[in-house]
Amino acid sequence: MEAKIEATVKNNGEKFLSHQRNLLVVFLIISLLLFSFLKIQTDKVVRKKVPGSSIIYLPSGKHLKYMTFGYSSLIADLIYLWAIQYYGTYEIADRFNYLEHIFSIIAELDPKYVDPYEVGALIAVYEAHDPELAFKILDMGLEKNPDMWIFPFQAGHIAQMNLKDFDLAREYYRKAMEIPGAPPITKRLFAHAAFKTTDYQTSWETWKEVYETAEEDWVKEIALNHLYRIKAAVDTEALTEAVKKFQERFGRLPADLNQLVRAGLIREVPTDLDGQEYLYDPQTGEVTPQRVWWKR
Amino acid sequence: MKITTIALNTFKEAKRDRVLYLLFFFVAVCLIFSRFLALLTVGDRVKIIKDVGLASISLFGMLMAILMGTGLVYKEIDKKTIFTLLAKPIHRVEFLLGKYLGLVLTIFIMTVLMTAVFLLILFLHTFTIDWKILLAILYIFFELCLMTAVALLFSTFSSPILATLFSLAFYLIGHLSWSLEMLIKKVKAGAGRVVLQALYIVLPDLENFNFKTEVVHNLPIPTSLLGISFLYGVVYTAFLLLLAMLVFRRRDFI
Repeated sequence: MEAKIEATVKNNGEKFLSHQRNLLVVFLIISLLLFSFLKIQTDKVVRKKVPGSSIIYLPSGKHLKYMTFGYSSLIADLIYLWAIQYYGTYEIADRFNYLEHIFSIIAELDPKYVDPYEVGALIAVYEAHDPELAFKILDMGLEKNPDMWIFPFQAGHIAQMNLKDFDLAREYYRKAMEIPGAPPITKRLFAHAAFKTTDYQTSWETWKEVYETAEEDWVKEIALNHLYRIKAAVDTEALTEAVKKFQERFGRLPADLNQLVRAGLIREVPTDLDGQEYLYDPQTGEVTPQRVWWKR
Repeated sequence: MKITTIALNTFKEAKRDRVLYLLFFFVAVCLIFSRFLALLTVGDRVKIIKDVGLASISLFGMLMAILMGTGLVYKEIDKKTIFTLLAKPIHRVEFLLGKYLGLVLTIFIMTVLMTAVFLLILFLHTFTIDWKILLAILYIFFELCLMTAVALLFSTFSSPILATLFSLAFYLIGHLSWSLEMLIKKVKAGAGRVVLQALYIVLPDLENFNFKTEVVHNLPIPTSLLGISFLYGVVYTAFLLLLAMLVFRRRDFI
């Protein structure tokens, strides 16, 4: 009898536990389905966002560095990644206001991190249309990394291509040239910028050096073409000036360039780098080289 | 009644653990960091104070929920007090619910105190009280309730250290689940995408409780989202507690 009661109690107890477990499982499945449904519903509600808003409130890098507890490089990485997302968000109209602030923070946190200077300068030029800001960022890069030719090189490129300011480009290329490891093209770009600023002497000497030191034939050919161009520019400018003086003195244009020698305005008629005479138009007084320099 | 007794005891235990000392750290963080960052920033200093304050409430609350929640059950087993408790007519489910509600009560009181300090600091800077901030704090509290359930679930089957790690991972996943949505868009249709979609729905989305940006920037908050987020929190918490009960009822203490 006692054993029977014990068995009944045990049986009822097991039944109760099993029933309770089943109930818990049912509730578990119901709650799973319910929160999945609610999750889908929350996704349907559009929330207003201020993408990257907090980045502009970051303190300056100098102070922030002390608050990174030795993880300044990691924080720089995170801010850089954040900045890329931030500047890729076109909905923020005034996002460029803090460009210098943000990239200077990264520069302070991790001065040797090259990418942010380059990318920051690109954003400044092509997105913010602010080349001056790009120069500031690249100058900052050079100040922190005096051994990196890429910063003055990129600045020179921006000055040349975007501003057409060859004086500035020449200065930046000069800086880049002086840094060991700068690619040979830097010297060629410097020589070209010097030509554009009408500093023919410097341009000639640099191209001559390029020609003499170049190992590849195509570089020698490029250098020769530029040397042809410089000589042609110097000669045609001198001849044009002489033609002008001839016209002032005799009231007419010379019939040919030899008349300039006879009038004592030049010592001899120069020839181009290939030994060819310059073309002269007696109707207009215009002096031009026989060949197009880059088609030689 | 039994649940209430266990809950109140859990609260007393938390008090005895000097958890309220965390409040001093909160005040220090709020005062020092708000002042320091506000001085150094380029922009609106009140925004910084609001950000730091809300983040501190969230962070300290989360730390409390995880660090205390993961030790709740383990401590009872470790000190063998669970034998005394379960020998009484207390069901394991009641024991768990009591523990959970006790910790939620502790977190609630701490959140109220932290909010009072935060509002006072904000008032001293602006001489006005932005009541909308309370909405963000309310949802931080809902998130903390969910995180307490998470910590409790992990504490039913693992050691406090592991449970803390799991809970922290859960917290991170919860705040980064939006990245799964981005991944889903990049994955071609097929089994992989279905798995990702299932994961995206099942994994917690704690961003549903994050209204800090909206409150700080005074952006409109859709009322429907407030309602759905609240329900989501309640149901997800219930799901976690049910799971904890299922695990705990099979737990052997020897």
